[in-house]
Amino acid sequence: MKLKINGKESELTESSVSVIKLLEIQKVDMPDMVTVELNGDILDREQFESTTVKDGDELEFLYFMGGGAQ
Amino acid sequence: MKFQTRAVNSVGPSQFGETMPPVVQSSAFAYETPQDLEAVFEGRQFGHVYSRISNPTVSSLEQKLTQLEQGRGSVAVASGMAAVHAVCLALAKSGDSIVVSTSLFGGTYLLFKDVIEPLGITVHYVDPLDHQSINDSITESTRFVFVEAIGNPKLDVPNLKEIATIAHSHKIPLCVDTTLVTPYLLDAKAHGVDIVVSAATKYVAPSGTTVGGYVCDLGNFSWKETKSSGVQALAKRAGDFGFMVYIKQKVVSNVGSLLNPFNAFMLLVGIETLSLRLEQHSQTALKLAQFLQAHSKVDVVNYPGLESNTSHIVAKEQFNGRYSGLLTLRLGTKDNAYTFLSALTLAKNMTNIGDSRTLLIHPATTLYKDLTVEQQEAAGVFPDLIRVSVGLEDADDLINDFKQALDKL
Repeated sequence: MKLKINGKESELTESSVSVIKLLEIQKVDMPDMVTVELNGDILDREQFESTTVKDGDELEFLYFMGGGAQ
Repeated sequence: MKFQTRAVNSVGPSQFGETMPPVVQSSAFAYETPQDLEAVFEGRQFGHVYSRISNPTVSSLEQKLTQLEQGRGSVAVASGMAAVHAVCLALAKSGDSIVVSTSLFGGTYLLFKDVIEPLGITVHYVDPLDHQSINDSITESTRFVFVEAIGNPKLDVPNLKEIATIAHSHKIPLCVDTTLVTPYLLDAKAHGVDIVVSAATKYVAPSGTTVGGYVCDLGNFSWKETKSSGVQALAKRAGDFGFMVYIKQKVVSNVGSLLNPFNAFMLLVGIETLSLRLEQHSQTALKLAQFLQAHSKVDVVNYPGLESNTSHIVAKEQFNGRYSGLLTLRLGTKDNAYTFLSALTLAKNMTNIGDSRTLLIHPATTLYKDLTVEQQEAAGVFPDLIRVSVGLEDADDLINDFKQALDKL
């Protein structure tokens, strides 16, 4: 499936994955501190395991707790 | 994982195989391209830009604290006072109110009186053991409830589950100062607490070396439903992290109260032995309290580990049978208190608590000197009262020192 992550096209061999698995596949830095926006909606951390991403979804991985985000 | 394993388990990536995070003593951080720096500023890439906002060593400490508290996120700040201040600024604004325990550390009381109240935030002071008064003091304008896990120096112990239930019935969070107990003695999250503030200076820091504090969001409260408008707005953008992001970006970064990297490193060192030290502080304090209770020249001994303490049963459940290192004694008159303090040879006459050494102070003429008699009494401070922070000396040596000083009365 094709996803758009932080504005860039990304292609995965999987047809669907949970958000928590996607963070692992994408080797996202500091996964405990990342905020995930899926198609414009912020996900609660409790939703990371139960929410599945599908072809065409747009995601933003955001580090509000990091050093620069305002 | 149990507490002590979490305490020594490394956080973050290691560059050379080191087991402790290095002290990254750098004011700012360079990036290869302007696009990279832009991505960090926008939050699309994890990184640090300036150590007033964040720093790798401080972040390592924050991760460790979050693991220990089993919380959602932490922000490490310059002191325990900075932590309380940050929570107040994040959750309340002019016209709002907060409900605060009367049983407070003197410095915290002065923060509310000298800094928070002049901002136009009304502070309602209530007895933390009087649940009806807490409930009755909460109005539509109340933004949070604040208590100390063990009142310093009154040594009363509020029932946190009960107070959390009251706060949550009004859809506001409970913030608890856990300085005296730390996450080792108190599983604050399991007791319904929403926010922990702590002066890590005391028991987290090793050997009385380091001033620092932290705020931890335990993850029990939904910030989308907070009545605090600034945090609520940020929760729409940052989700679960709304409160922590507000603390970090809107308060700590702007005020400039982030902890410095060296002190963060020192607190990381202290965390590894925190449980061992607190076990010893607790055991020795109980022995000393029992000795003092049996001594004819001591009028009153107060320690949560003694059955005579009004909160003993609550303390026993909340702290799993350990009661930390703070006790008080009353000797009848201020003169007796001063004679006793002057006669000690091993224990030291100084402020601070949680040090490896035993520290004593006369609160009425020091920490509480700016409060009225009524305010002092509400906080458990009297002219003949001495506060003892029991250290890590051998209990028998301490008892002998106290005994020879009592013999001078």
